[in-house]
Amino acid sequence: MTWYFARRLAFAAFLVIAVSSASLVLARLAPGDFVTESAGTEISRQTLEQQRARYGLNKSLGEQYRDWLAAAARLDFGYSMQYGRPVRDLVPERAANTAILALAALVFATLIGLPLGIISGSRKSGVLPGMIRATSVVLLSMPPLLTSLFLLFIAARTGWLPIGGMHSAIVPPGGALADLLRHLVVPAAAVGLPLAAMLERLQSQAMSEVIGEPFVLATLSRGVPRSRIVWRGAFKAALRPVAAVYGLVIGTLLSGSFAVEVITTWPGLGNLMLQALRSRDVYLVAGCAGAGALFLACGTLLSDLALAVVDPRASETRAERA
Amino acid sequence: MFAKNKNLHANPKLGRSTAHAFDRAVSWPLGQIVTRQTRRLAASVAFVVAGVLAGAGCRSNTPPKSATAAASKSGVPRGGDLIASVRSEPRSFNRHAASDSTTELISNLTQGKLVHVNQATQAVEPSLAESWTSEDAGRRVTMHLRRDVVFSDGHPFTADDVLFSFEVANDEKTQSILADAVRTGGKPLQVAATDPHTVVITSAAPFAPGVRVLEILPILPRHRLEAAFKAGTFAKAWGLDTPMSDIVGLGPFVLSQYAAGQRVVLTRNPKYFAKAPDGGALPYLDRLTIEILPDQSAELLRLQSGQLDMMTSEISPESYASLKRSADGGKITLLDLGVSRNAEGLFFNLKPGAFGADPRAPWLQRDELRQAINMAVDRKVFVDTVFFGAGVPVYGPETPANKVWYWEGLPHTPYDPAAARQLLASIGLTSGADGVLKDARNQPARFTLVTQKGRPSMERSVAVIRDELKKIGLTVDVVALDSRAVIQAFLTAKYDAIYFNADKTDLDPGTNQDFWFSSGLAHMWNLEEKTPATDWERRIDELMTKQIASPDLAERRQLYNEVQKIFYDHQPMIYFAAPRIFVAHATRVTNLTPAEYRPQLLWRPDTVAVIR
Repeated sequence: MTWYFARRLAFAAFLVIAVSSASLVLARLAPGDFVTESAGTEISRQTLEQQRARYGLNKSLGEQYRDWLAAAARLDFGYSMQYGRPVRDLVPERAANTAILALAALVFATLIGLPLGIISGSRKSGVLPGMIRATSVVLLSMPPLLTSLFLLFIAARTGWLPIGGMHSAIVPPGGALADLLRHLVVPAAAVGLPLAAMLERLQSQAMSEVIGEPFVLATLSRGVPRSRIVWRGAFKAALRPVAAVYGLVIGTLLSGSFAVEVITTWPGLGNLMLQALRSRDVYLVAGCAGAGALFLACGTLLSDLALAVVDPRASETRAERA
Repeated sequence: MFAKNKNLHANPKLGRSTAHAFDRAVSWPLGQIVTRQTRRLAASVAFVVAGVLAGAGCRSNTPPKSATAAASKSGVPRGGDLIASVRSEPRSFNRHAASDSTTELISNLTQGKLVHVNQATQAVEPSLAESWTSEDAGRRVTMHLRRDVVFSDGHPFTADDVLFSFEVANDEKTQSILADAVRTGGKPLQVAATDPHTVVITSAAPFAPGVRVLEILPILPRHRLEAAFKAGTFAKAWGLDTPMSDIVGLGPFVLSQYAAGQRVVLTRNPKYFAKAPDGGALPYLDRLTIEILPDQSAELLRLQSGQLDMMTSEISPESYASLKRSADGGKITLLDLGVSRNAEGLFFNLKPGAFGADPRAPWLQRDELRQAINMAVDRKVFVDTVFFGAGVPVYGPETPANKVWYWEGLPHTPYDPAAARQLLASIGLTSGADGVLKDARNQPARFTLVTQKGRPSMERSVAVIRDELKKIGLTVDVVALDSRAVIQAFLTAKYDAIYFNADKTDLDPGTNQDFWFSSGLAHMWNLEEKTPATDWERRIDELMTKQIASPDLAERRQLYNEVQKIFYDHQPMIYFAAPRIFVAHATRVTNLTPAEYRPQLLWRPDTVAVIR
């Protein structure tokens, strides 16, 4: 188990380094650099070169990458040219905002998806299960980008919800927390609705399998109410496959909310990365990409660990199995 | 040359906008049908969402009651909050360190200048310098500074701060972005103080635009920044992580909060020196919030739903229809500010030898090719397609927005594809049986046209140019790149042709020397020539040298007309049309002085007010 964990950890570290390195190199290789536009075209070549030297953009790609890698080993990920601040400080601030959004979406998806999955999985026919299944299929086929646009449209037409952002310019009556919660509705629903649909489908399938198990039939024949069996015994038994993918869901949630962040102007990692890419802020691009990869790696790691706990065969090496 | 002018507000039309509301009828039946259908659906879904909100649903930006709530004697309301938006984050709070539009906007809101260019009238107005006189054909200007002016931290403003501001701009170690902007004839302006409230600015050569160039230079507090300047760390001073209380200025607002990726909040500077016409304090607003919204769709949504008061840029042509509906519904005010001073243009790579052994070299750099393109594009089609009819044809470097320097006498090229074909035949491009023009090697005459990605009007423009040129047999391959890649292409002279914008920051051609002079960095078609590559560029250099030195406006106009005629004859940059500028603001915003140049509604922030 320890060896298994170490292997997965090493892979996670490799993933983060590879993704951030590739991002830095690609951003650096793209035509133009941070200075090209920030300085405009009406300043002398001399001033342009001075600016380039100031940001270290006059170095060769190899030299720049080597210096960045050496600094990264000391957990110094460089300086953002755009913000004039260390990447190490900027990324966690925005990552926290992304985590808030992802957590809200996860809670929302869990609270909606699992109960609906139990309802649709425990009944083979009926209007309600049919409606739940149909809605899930629609939501699953709609990318979060479209969902967020649709929700923004509703917010704009009704004026009931803030259109994007994380906080109001002026804190309204009710306090900052209520303000944050209202701002969370649109992006969290945009990220969470497709996820809720996925959880509903998973839970529904697991539930329909469990409901036909002999132990459920035996309990029913003893006169235990069906609702108690469904919501207590069968639910617990059907939760295992859902729990196994939960870690992976967390990883994809954090990196997958980037598009929604951009649409809803949520000040998270996705928005930061877009700004960094637009301005060719190479170190910040690498930092954001690395953070995204870290989220994914942590999610995968959690998923693997959960799977290893549920099914010990998953952590065995081929040699051990042989 | 510079007349004394003691009026702070040359255009005190308080309580109303100087632009007129745009009332063109627009019919969008499909949009209305969709709106009706979706409204019902939206209402149903929103009902569910309202439940989640549990009664918390309400507009979020209700401004708090202000202690200073009142109306001025002239009836302009005082106090209140205004929410505006920008598309990008500021890169610094130090104007010398960054040239992006948000940094510039915040600098204008928080820092004072010696003079102010009235964007509505283009006249130079006093600001920190209350009057000035010039001698020696404009080489020497004596500026008399306002007395009893203090920075936002209470420290007195004196001539010493002016000297410091010039020192910072001119010092090489500072690497100031503004260094090149406060030079005349390639040499820095010399500044000396004769007493604490008088400075003398000397230019190495006569410079007709005069003190207008000083509008770009913020006057900085020596007492706050001298230590960083002496330590050689000025470029990093006043970065985005600087505590807001450390940033002081002479502008109408002071920085109060910066939330990265979200907003910049500014509050009124109670020590601001300018006064309203009724003698009351300025600015009228208590607070100004600048929301950072990366795209215009987000800005428009918030504006239409009442969560934003104004944008700091014009609205795109494609957004007009939806805003017109909101304006008709009384939610916002839509203004037509007239024709833009800037037009996008097409230029070929005219650097000698740029195409080396490329077989297209004999015809790609010929005047006749550009003249033919000028004739082959129907400007009416261009205006209708690119700006949906809201634009005017343009034939030269100036648009009708430039009241002083636009020349009515410039020929208006007629749309004439037959004449264009004849011109192309004269340089060896003849039509084959398939109608495609071929060169001497019998290869199709084609070139690549680069433009900026993500700018719908530019992308539509190159599509029109491609289609129009196809009619005369020229093949155009369109490539859309991001702005940095486009700039990189022309900085390295690796392109056939580019369709791009060369915005003028000021309407006086004397301030756009980098564009006109063959040695200029914004001489788009052939940057930084060591010696003029052509006779006509040499002639333009000579004329512009005289134009910039002449103290006589009539003579300057005559010289500039001649420059425009040479430019027209050789078409180094081909212009097709300029858009009309539309802006929108919440109906509660009042006392605006709109101008067509950015930030159209906020260039005079101290007089903007809101009705509460």
